[in-house]
Amino acid sequence: MTPREVLMRKVAAADFALFDLHLYLDTHAFDRQAMEIFERYRTKAEMLRREYEESYGPISLGTAAGAEWLKDPWPWDTEGSYRNV
Amino acid sequence: MFSYEKKLQYPVNIKNPDAKAAQVIITQYGGPDGELAASLRYLSQRYSMPYEELKGLLTDIGVEELGHFEMIGAIVYQLTRNLSIDEIKKSGFDTYFVDHTTGIYPVSASGAPFTAAYIQSKGDVITDMTENLAAEQKARTVYDNILRLVDDPDVRDPIKFLREREVVHFQRFGEGLRLATDRLDSNNYYMYNPSFDKPKR
Repeated sequence: MTPREVLMRKVAAADFALFDLHLYLDTHAFDRQAMEIFERYRTKAEMLRREYEESYGPISLGTAAGAEWLKDPWPWDTEGSYRNV
Repeated sequence: MFSYEKKLQYPVNIKNPDAKAAQVIITQYGGPDGELAASLRYLSQRYSMPYEELKGLLTDIGVEELGHFEMIGAIVYQLTRNLSIDEIKKSGFDTYFVDHTTGIYPVSASGAPFTAAYIQSKGDVITDMTENLAAEQKARTVYDNILRLVDDPDVRDPIKFLREREVVHFQRFGEGLRLATDRLDSNNYYMYNPSFDKPKR
């Protein structure tokens, strides 16, 4: 795995934890402990995302446009399968 | 509205092409219990939901299913890259190839194109939530069958993740149905439509 893939895995893992807690909180809206964990992951996911975007390019479409946004790899590409490696 | 994120919910990194595997897995792209059907079902059912928990639940799960739709697309794409014509002929992928080459198109494993007839949006919270519980189990069964048919760990890994999500969604929908039935009044023991017949907050 390349350093980019390692960091992307961390971003995806933190985002996933955040999302799964969000889903849990839809049916347990007043679970304060889950809400605290959600807040913790929110901070962690934000940090990791910023770190990834600074090194490897945008994830959220609001952070960049044009050439920087368009640059490979796209999510379905694997390392080495796209042109501008 | 929706906004794209340039990442998969769970990574897909498949090294070896496998047309046979692609041909069965594509059923989760455009088949009867696939991710496109799931997403359209939940995102469409949201509007007539009388309770905020269920609006939230269907929105979150409907959006997650779109992410799974993208993961299945990535799996099928990576499984069909660099195939030789010989492999395409031998695997039986030729019947798909003739119409789509290696483009990703929503069909079932048996080649039936996607149709909205796979889903329902009934405007009845009890009916819709019950449909969703069945839908999650049907999708879980399909993933179990894919795991029976596919050996490559690179493919099994994201498929196992998607299978687990069906289990979690079933659990959340069960809780959602309970939240709805808890609000029925005591005369409504046959659980008829509380979204049409005056919802109780």
